[in-house]
Amino acid sequence: MFFTRSKVAVAVALGSIALFSACSNSQSVRASAKAQKDRKPAPNFTLSDANGKSVSLAEYKGKVVLLNFWATWCGPCSLEIPWFKEFEQQYKSQGFAVLGVSMDDDGWQAVKPYIAEHKINYRVLLGNDSVSQLYGGLDALPTTFIIDRDGNIAYPPHIGLVGKNEYLSEIQGLLGDKPASAALDSLRPPSAALVVPTTK
Amino acid sequence: MTVEPGSRITAKHGPAGVTQALNVNVLPGFHVNSNKPKDEFLIPLKLTWDAGPLEAGAITYPQAEDIKVGKDVLAVFTGSFTIQTHFRVRDSAAHGPAVMTGKLRYQACNNEMCFRPASIDIRLPVEIE
Repeated sequence: MFFTRSKVAVAVALGSIALFSACSNSQSVRASAKAQKDRKPAPNFTLSDANGKSVSLAEYKGKVVLLNFWATWCGPCSLEIPWFKEFEQQYKSQGFAVLGVSMDDDGWQAVKPYIAEHKINYRVLLGNDSVSQLYGGLDALPTTFIIDRDGNIAYPPHIGLVGKNEYLSEIQGLLGDKPASAALDSLRPPSAALVVPTTK
Repeated sequence: MTVEPGSRITAKHGPAGVTQALNVNVLPGFHVNSNKPKDEFLIPLKLTWDAGPLEAGAITYPQAEDIKVGKDVLAVFTGSFTIQTHFRVRDSAAHGPAVMTGKLRYQACNNEMCFRPASIDIRLPVEIE
């Protein structure tokens, strides 16, 4: 029997080169926090946590939130997780929360063992395509959003691995801010509601 | 991601086989997990063939390369590499042109980010004699 060898050339181009360039640039030049008036609301979603409880992002209003999209198969994501655990522990009492959204296609079957093995101390939700679309498609992981107490995205998204100190400075900066609603309250006369005009 | 159509392979009925080489190229700076990643959570590279006139036997992947990402050592493929499949013609296969189809599942990263698992459709023209 005679057979010929053949080659099928497959080029794994791995997505958009333009995206990669953009990501690299976003890490080398870090933008400062957006002015409050320029911040856009973080799209709300409702997802289940590991206990089957439905959780909405809207429930976190009033807190500074680090919203991290990740996956168990993502090496750079696993480098950030110890930092996030530390942030959760250190700043929880100041109105800060880490919210992890796993984009694993295999669902809790993959995610629960990972949470246990890495002793993740913050809430993890299971993502889906709808949430992915709300946040720009999430082609690359990790992708992380820092959300202020008013539920607005305060910084450009972090796409890819970011330095721990960068996250720290953003979180600490926002924890020092009052929510916009509170700031407005502080401008009102403290007893305005009690001033009753009197007529003689 | 792009897939170049393969050139036709010729195979004859009988006990012998034909080895087909799939050439894969990964962009510089990126890697894909090998077929045997070191961590259970990582997604391996996997070539599968659909049922067709040829029966896929052993699939041979190249030697993985160890790279360090943070504290972890990963077994990956980078650059250009070849995956070989040994085929035999099924007894029931008719003479003439045919097509074998398959999928190459992979998950790619660089040192800073990862891309969601994806598959490339493979189409291999075959001439059965």
